[in-house]
Amino acid sequence: MDGVTPTPEVLSPSTAFTPQFQIVAALVFAVVLVIISVFLAKRKSTQRGDAVILAGCSDAGKTAILSTLVYKQTLPTHTSMQTNAALMVLPQGHKTLRLIDVPGHPRIRDQFQEYLPHAKAVAFVVDSSTISRNGAAVAEHLHMILNALTSLPPSRGTPSLTIVAHKCDLMKSTAHASAEQLAINRIRTILERELEKRRASHANGVGVESLGAEDADSQVGGLECTGSGEFKFAEWEGGEVGFVGTSVSVGKEAVVSADEKHPQGDGLSPLREWLEDLP
Amino acid sequence: MLDHCSISHKGGVVLWSRSFTPAASHTAASSTSPVNSLVREALIEGRSSDGKYEKDGYAVKWTFVNDLELIFVVAYQRILQLTYVDELLLALKTLFIKLFQPFLATFVASLHVTSSAKLASSAAPSASWNFRKAFEGWDGVFDKLLRGLEDKAAQERRTRVAHPARATIDVTPPAEDTSTIPSHSNADVQDEEQIARNVQALKNRLRGRGGHAGRRGRGRTDVGSGRDSLPGSDSETPTSKRKSRAKAQRKWGESAPTENDMALLDYSYDSSVSEDPASSLDLSTLVDNGSLGTRTRDGLYEVKDWEFASQGDKNTDDVIAEVLKKGGQEAKPAASSLGALGSIFSRLTGSKVLTEEDLKPVLEAMKQHLMKKNVAKEIADKVCEDVGESLVGKKVGGFQSTTSAVRQALANSITRILTPKTSTDLLLSIRTKLSTPVAASQQKLPYSITFVGVNGVGKSTNLSKVCFWLIQNGFRVLIAACDTFRSGAVEQLRVHVRNLGMLGVDGATNSKGRVELYERGYGKDAAGIAKEAIAYARDNDFDVVLIDTAGRMQDNEPLMRALAKLVATNNPDKIIFVGEALVGNEAVDQLTKFDRALRDFSAASGGQERGIDGMLVTKWDTVDDKVGAALSMTYVTGQPIIFVGCGQTYTDLRQLRVANVVQAILSD
Repeated sequence: MDGVTPTPEVLSPSTAFTPQFQIVAALVFAVVLVIISVFLAKRKSTQRGDAVILAGCSDAGKTAILSTLVYKQTLPTHTSMQTNAALMVLPQGHKTLRLIDVPGHPRIRDQFQEYLPHAKAVAFVVDSSTISRNGAAVAEHLHMILNALTSLPPSRGTPSLTIVAHKCDLMKSTAHASAEQLAINRIRTILERELEKRRASHANGVGVESLGAEDADSQVGGLECTGSGEFKFAEWEGGEVGFVGTSVSVGKEAVVSADEKHPQGDGLSPLREWLEDLP
Repeated sequence: MLDHCSISHKGGVVLWSRSFTPAASHTAASSTSPVNSLVREALIEGRSSDGKYEKDGYAVKWTFVNDLELIFVVAYQRILQLTYVDELLLALKTLFIKLFQPFLATFVASLHVTSSAKLASSAAPSASWNFRKAFEGWDGVFDKLLRGLEDKAAQERRTRVAHPARATIDVTPPAEDTSTIPSHSNADVQDEEQIARNVQALKNRLRGRGGHAGRRGRGRTDVGSGRDSLPGSDSETPTSKRKSRAKAQRKWGESAPTENDMALLDYSYDSSVSEDPASSLDLSTLVDNGSLGTRTRDGLYEVKDWEFASQGDKNTDDVIAEVLKKGGQEAKPAASSLGALGSIFSRLTGSKVLTEEDLKPVLEAMKQHLMKKNVAKEIADKVCEDVGESLVGKKVGGFQSTTSAVRQALANSITRILTPKTSTDLLLSIRTKLSTPVAASQQKLPYSITFVGVNGVGKSTNLSKVCFWLIQNGFRVLIAACDTFRSGAVEQLRVHVRNLGMLGVDGATNSKGRVELYERGYGKDAAGIAKEAIAYARDNDFDVVLIDTAGRMQDNEPLMRALAKLVATNNPDKIIFVGEALVGNEAVDQLTKFDRALRDFSAASGGQERGIDGMLVTKWDTVDDKVGAALSMTYVTGQPIIFVGCGQTYTDLRQLRVANVVQAILSD
């Protein structure tokens, strides 16, 4: 009988990879890639930066602090034109930190924004001898920084902020309090007053931009407080604000090397301690 | 003769500085020092005009080394005409880099750490920094260099003095300076070479006077004969101008002694001067001449200190001489200062150093681009020049082209110019003034804002927009109609006030009583009306007074004077210049003249100097991305743009976003 002889069917290997299978495989691969990249990115972003930003108005003494911490001697300085980023080794624990000294001139002080993602801490340097005259300007600068700190994405830890009352040696100490304490108190009072003014002004003001009801996000916030609403550093929502009092003397070679520890080495020891304590 | 000289890093660290007068050394550390002012006002704000900056009676000159990020600054009294400052800066730059290149390179690298991990290893060797030791030899080198240049300048002056009769007038004061200034200078005044120098300077001065007196006694015919002999000597030695002059003097002197004995004195002096340059190369001998007596002492002194100094001392004379020679002949040793090392390095890393030739076509293109965006030509020139100055000698990475480097630098520069340096927060400023306690005897003054500008730019329209915004913020506003000239100006404001009064605020159906117009008709004195308006506002408890002035052309002197009077008598809290975004090259002229007129007249009338406090740019919606006027205006005055007017309704007022403007200017 001429039965139909079954011709052997040859399965080509390509038939195993049907279009459906290819699509599924591609999808799985893509998903794996996305997961890996997200994971990496997350790990990166949760990692805290290693930089400490020195910010503050012109002539506050940022570069002098940097030179004292990095070069162990206070070099004479003038108004900075560009950012300095130098490495300092902490005497204890041999940690290394990157100090970033951002110029305080109003035209270029915005540069701190680009270092903020890598920042571990921000030290806002204030000249305690001129704060009563420059209160408003200093507060404006600090406001910018507070705003930038609070508007950082929540996925990463907020850098800790401390206010450095610099040039304490120009204050006279009294029987009740040391010069550092006096400087800190004065700066805290003046800055709280000025920032409260700014907060009040923004709270019940209509911004120019919101007149037209388009892009109304121009308001500079960052001054929200828990409690009564009046601005207090202790109640600031963005986190804790520390205060330290420091001073340097230009020209003197402060020999504070890694091995020998001066208990009263120079006026910067409070700042050093704060740097040590950074997580 | 110099007051202050400093070498510093752009980041603010001063590597070396010296003040020559007590006054200068006193201010050097304070924030008002000439160097600080220079950086703050000229360099950061990008408003340096032709390489010279003047402040508080000082003239300041500077130069950059971009690859090492150094600034060299020399400050001196403005009244002195120091011809050698440029040469000094150039020589300083070349010498300093030549001597300290390795140290400077590590120093600059230490200020540019990108991540702590990378430098953790390299941080260890450079752990101990000793700046004093590193620059130890420099004091001596600087002294010699300065002395060489001063001597040279003094000689040039002397030779100049000796020949046309007119030049004798200015000989004595500078000669006196050479002798008096060293006695002012600090610290090392008392060392012996200084004394030797003083003695020499004194002698020179006496001689100079002798010569001066001698020539006065001489007949006119001699002067003529001296002049005649000049061309002949020029043709003999065409290589050096100074040398030929010296020779000319000698010939002139030779002809003189036949006349009288005073001229004989003159001859002996002149020949002694011209003897040295005749024997060998002029400049190197000059330097040797200055340090001849002190050389052995120098050597002894510096051997004690440190090896570098002694080793450097042998070379310094040669190096200085070399540099001086170079500086005298052509003005471009800066480019070659890096030498072979730099080129090898750049070849290895694939980065290249930008030169002026590289930058020129790119900058030219950028300038054209800026001008296409309606930036005034003058401003485009200056901005590009500054950008070029800041880039020459910089290294660009392997992946970055020259164009993108220039673009980046230009973006930075424009951002810097546009970023306000004073607060633009008008609300805060008003609230602060209103809440400041005043003495019980006087009443609280309202916050007054004056709008000035040329005709037809939209002063009244934008004044009403600002008024609307203030009303929305709960202030009571009085508008003073001080345009008493153009027909319909007062009526126009009356319409605005009526409209604004009918618009609701915060749920209230109308804001009557929140805004009023103060008008006194036409043809009256605007300053008087403004004064009355402020008094009226004070008595009736208004918060803000907006003063509308008549438009005027900046060249119209009487009208500008009237405006200045208005400003001087009322002293408003803010003077806002209203300019239109359509303006091109004219922007520069308008703003400079308004600003200057206000300043001049307010200073003349006894009050404190007042200029423009801010700007309002109108018709912003008509220019699309050709927003160059904003750049021109901020560049000229250095003041911020407070508002931008962008339409016909009361809500069409905006604040300037610097980032957007920069993007618009740079977009193709």
